[in-house]
Amino acid sequence: MFRKQFGNLSRVSTHLSRNVLAARVASREAEMSTNAAPAEAATAPPVVNEFRTGVGNPGEHSEVQIGKFYTIPMQEKKQIFSGGGLPKQYEQQIKTFTEACLMVRSPALELLNYIKRADLSKPVVRYVLYGDNGVGKTLSMAHVLHYGMLNDFLLVHVPWAPNWMKRPKESANSASQEGFIDLPFDAAAWLVHFKTQNSKLLERLQLKTSKEYVWSKRESTPAGSSLIELVEHGIARIKYASETTAALISELKQLATAGQCKIMVAIDGYNAFFHPITRIFSDNKQRVSPDRITLTQPFLDITNYDWTNGVCILSVDKIAMTEGYMESYLPRYLLGKEGFEHLDPFVPVHVGNYTEKEFTSYIKYYLDRHWISKTQPGFEEQLKFMSNMNPYTLMQLVRGL
Amino acid sequence: MSLRVLSVNLLKNNRNFIQNAVRNSKGPGVQALALAPYATQVTVQATPAAVQKQKVSKAMKAYLERAKEHDDFMKTQDLEFQIGKRHLANMMGADAETFTQEDIDEAIAYLFPSGLFDKRARPAMRSPEEVFPARKAAEFDETGRPFHSMFYTGKPNFFQLLHDIVEETNKLYDLEERMLRRGNKPDENQKLETAGFQLLPKDQLERVLVEHIADIEYQNFTNAMDRLISLPYSYKSKAFIERYLKPLIDQSKQLEVPKPKIDDQGRQYITTYECLRKTARADVTVRLPGTGKITINGQDISYFSSEECKEQLLFPLNYSEMLGKVDVEANVEGGGPSGQAGAIRWGIAMSLRSFVDQEMIESMRLAGLLTRDYRRRERKKYGQEGARRKYTWKKR
Amino acid sequence: MSMYPSHFAEPSLKKETNRSSASHIPVKAATNDLSDSIFYGELKNKLIKYITKKGNKSLARELLTETFETIKRTQIERLILAGTEKENIIIDSEQLLKNAIENARPLLQLSAIKRGGVKYQVPVPVTEKKSYFLAMKWLLDAAREKDRKVHLPEKLAWEILDAACGQGRVIKKKNDLHRQCESNRAYAHYRWS
Repeated sequence: MFRKQFGNLSRVSTHLSRNVLAARVASREAEMSTNAAPAEAATAPPVVNEFRTGVGNPGEHSEVQIGKFYTIPMQEKKQIFSGGGLPKQYEQQIKTFTEACLMVRSPALELLNYIKRADLSKPVVRYVLYGDNGVGKTLSMAHVLHYGMLNDFLLVHVPWAPNWMKRPKESANSASQEGFIDLPFDAAAWLVHFKTQNSKLLERLQLKTSKEYVWSKRESTPAGSSLIELVEHGIARIKYASETTAALISELKQLATAGQCKIMVAIDGYNAFFHPITRIFSDNKQRVSPDRITLTQPFLDITNYDWTNGVCILSVDKIAMTEGYMESYLPRYLLGKEGFEHLDPFVPVHVGNYTEKEFTSYIKYYLDRHWISKTQPGFEEQLKFMSNMNPYTLMQLVRGL
Repeated sequence: MSLRVLSVNLLKNNRNFIQNAVRNSKGPGVQALALAPYATQVTVQATPAAVQKQKVSKAMKAYLERAKEHDDFMKTQDLEFQIGKRHLANMMGADAETFTQEDIDEAIAYLFPSGLFDKRARPAMRSPEEVFPARKAAEFDETGRPFHSMFYTGKPNFFQLLHDIVEETNKLYDLEERMLRRGNKPDENQKLETAGFQLLPKDQLERVLVEHIADIEYQNFTNAMDRLISLPYSYKSKAFIERYLKPLIDQSKQLEVPKPKIDDQGRQYITTYECLRKTARADVTVRLPGTGKITINGQDISYFSSEECKEQLLFPLNYSEMLGKVDVEANVEGGGPSGQAGAIRWGIAMSLRSFVDQEMIESMRLAGLLTRDYRRRERKKYGQEGARRKYTWKKR
Repeated sequence: MSMYPSHFAEPSLKKETNRSSASHIPVKAATNDLSDSIFYGELKNKLIKYITKKGNKSLARELLTETFETIKRTQIERLILAGTEKENIIIDSEQLLKNAIENARPLLQLSAIKRGGVKYQVPVPVTEKKSYFLAMKWLLDAAREKDRKVHLPEKLAWEILDAACGQGRVIKKKNDLHRQCESNRAYAHYRWS
C-alpha cells in the first residue's frame, strides 16, 4: 500500500519536476551554492559551483568549463532525445536526479571547435568518435547535438544504428527495389523522431521538395510540397516509410548543397552498416547483409562527401557489431575495408577515460545528488582504483553504494 | 605355597627393581624411556625351578612368549644399531664414541641421497626405541593378578592421569582456601604462561600413554586440564602441567621478510614468484614510489570483468593503506578469474610486507592475507553424486 | 584433506593493538568475498549467498546491486518530495537493509517436541545467528512469493523498505510467530521435561 502511493507519487514527481520542482530544486541549490542566484519561477537558474557551470549554451563552452556539468533544459531534452540518443541508464538517472546534466569534456569540445570553425561551403567533413566501451562517445554526441539544435542545424540523428540490424520490429520485402528488405516500423519511428527534432526549424525554413515522388498508382507526392508533408506521409503510410526516408535524405542533400539549410548528421554505431551480416532473415531463412536493407543506403549516401553545408558526426563502437566479439576499438578495424574506404578521409576523435579533475567533479556531483551514501575517508581512491577512471564502470560501481 | 608366594613377591619386587635400575642407567635406553615413561622394557625373570611346575593358563603362556620374543627382538635391534653406528662412524672417519644422532642423520643423508618429498619416507637410521612403537610392560603377573589398580578399566594409564589431575586440582583448592583464610593472594608474577602453549593433541597423548583414547575421553582430559590451568594457584603444579603442554611456534616471527631490490629507474621493487591459488599461478611485482597503477598481463584492471575479483586486488592495498603509493605488475596464467584474483592478492600481500612496518604485517596476517590458501576442489566419491551430496534416498 | 586443522583462527579485519595472545595462533586464509572496501558489508555478503542459486553468485550480486539501486531511487524521490523532514529519510541502502533485518529478527521460535505421543509446539529461544538467518530468509521468501512478472530486485527493494519502516509481510510474520509463542507459553516447560 505504501508502495502504491509512492508509485503514483513518482509519476507525479516527474510532472512536478518540469515546473514547480525546478523552483524547489533551484532554491535548494541556492542554499547550497556560494553565489545565491535569484530563483526564477519557470526555469532553474544556473548555479555556479566547482562542478557546475552556468553556461547553458554549448556554443559558449571553452576549456574553462572542462570537468563541469551544465544542465539541459527539459523541453530541449524532450525535443532532441525523445526518440533515443541517450543511454537507458542515463535516462533513469535524469529521472532520479530531476535534471539532465552533461559534463563538458575535451573530446566534445574539440568537436565543437572544429564545427564552429568549419567552412561550410566546402565538402562535408566527417568526424568519427572512437573509444573503448563506456568512455562517453554517445554522450559526447549528445552534447554536440544540443549545440546543433541551438544553432539552427537540421538534425539527421540515428540514435543507435545496430538496433535496425539486430532487433528490427518487422521486416518486409521491399516493393520498389527487388531483393531488398525494408523495415517499415523502424523507418516510421525514425521519421517521427526526425519530425520531433526538427519540426520548428522546418516550419521556419519552409523547405520544399524538388521533384515528384510516386509511391504507387494512386499515391504520389508532388514536387514543391513541403518536407513536413513528406515526413507525415511516411509516418502515415508505413508501407512506404523506408522509401520516404530515402527520398527525404536525398532532398536534404540537395537543399543543403543549395544553401537553404545546414545539416548535422549524427549516427551512433556507424560500423553496424558494415558488418558482414545482420540478424534479419530473408524469405528463404538466410541472413542478409546490411547492403540489402533499404535503410542503409540513404545513410551511407549522406555520409559521402559530395554535398556541402553540413557536418557529419559518426561513432564506431565495439558493441555496435551485430555478432561476434571485437578485439580492438580502432576505427579501421571496426569499419572493415569497405567502411574505411567509404569514409576515408575522416577526422578521428578519440574519447578516453576520465582525467583526475573530471573524476573528482563527477564524484562531487554524485554526492550533491545524494547518490553516493558511503563516504568513508578514502572512498574516492577506492572508486578510482576499481573503475580505472572508466565512466561506465564508475556508474555501475556506484549504483549499489 | 609359600614358595609360590615368595616367587610372586620376588617377581613384583624384581619388577620394580628392574624398572628403577633401567631408569637410573645411562645409555640408549634412557631416551626411549623419556618418550614413553609408561612403557618399560619387558622383563620376565626366570623363576625358581620349583615354581615352574605351576600350571600357567594358555593365554598367559602365549602372552609370556610374546613378551619374551619382543624383548629379545628389541635387544637384537639395539645391538645391531650399536654395531651399525660404529661402522658408520668408521666410514665417515669420525670418532665412534662421540657419534651423536645428528651425525648419523647427516651421514645417512650423504650416503643415501633421496629425492622423495615426504621426509618420513627417506632412508633413516634411528635407535630401535624410536622406530618401534612403545609397548606396555607386563600388566599382570604370572597368576594373572594385575599390577595397576585400574587395570580393569582397560586404559589404566589414562585414567590414572585423570585421577592425578583431579588430585592436583583438589590440592590447589585446599591451598587456595588456606591462603584465603590467612588473607594471602596468589602471586601474580608467577602466573602460568599459556599463550604460547597448547595442550597435547590427541595422537601425541596416545603416544605418551601407550594407549588408545576415544574422542570423548580426550575431551574429558582437555576439560580437566583447562580447569586445572585456570586455577589461580596453578603455578604450584607447574611441573605436572608442563608435561602435557606443547609449545606452539610463534607465528608472527615465522616468515622472513625479503629486502626490496632497486631497478634501473631507482625505484624499490619486490617480486613474489609462484603465487598459487587453485590452479592459477602468478608472479607479482610491487614497486614503491608509484601512482597506484595496476597491470595484469599487460592490461589494466579491466582484465577482470567481475567486481568481486577487482575488490580482491583492492583488499591488501587498502588494508595496508598503500593504495596510491605503489605500482603493481602481475603475470598470471591458469585457473579461472576468481583463482587468478586470489593468487594476485596473495602476491601483493606478500610483496607489501617489505614496505610496511611490523605491526601492519601482523594485522595483515590476522586478516588472513598472508596465509597461502591451499584449498583445492574436493574429489567426487563413488556412491555419491558429488563430493558431499549423496544420491536421493528412497525409502523403497 | 584441504580443510584447516581445528586450531586455526578465523580471519578478522579489525586492526587492534592488543594482539599478544594471538601471535601464536595461525590464521585461515581470507576467502574471496572478504574485503575491507566500501563495497563490502557483512550482512550484504550473507544476503548475496542466500540469493545465490546453483552457484551463480555473480548473478546474485547483480540482483542485490539492482535492489540497492531501486531502494536508493525511491528514497531520493521521497527526499525531494519531503521538504521539511529531510533528516529522517535514510538514503543509505545498506543501513536500511540492516534496519529491516533488525526489525524482522525473531526472538523465539516454535519447535515441535513430542511428549506422551503428542507433538506440542514449544516456544524456544533463537540464537543470534539463527535469528539473522530467519530474518533474511523471510525477506527473500516474501520477495519471491509475489507475481512473476515483477523481477526480484524490485520486489526485494519494496520488502526491505517496508520492513525498515516496521510494516509489511515480513514484520507481520515475525509478529505472528511471537504471538503464537506467547499463546503457547504453557508448554514452555516441555523444553526440559
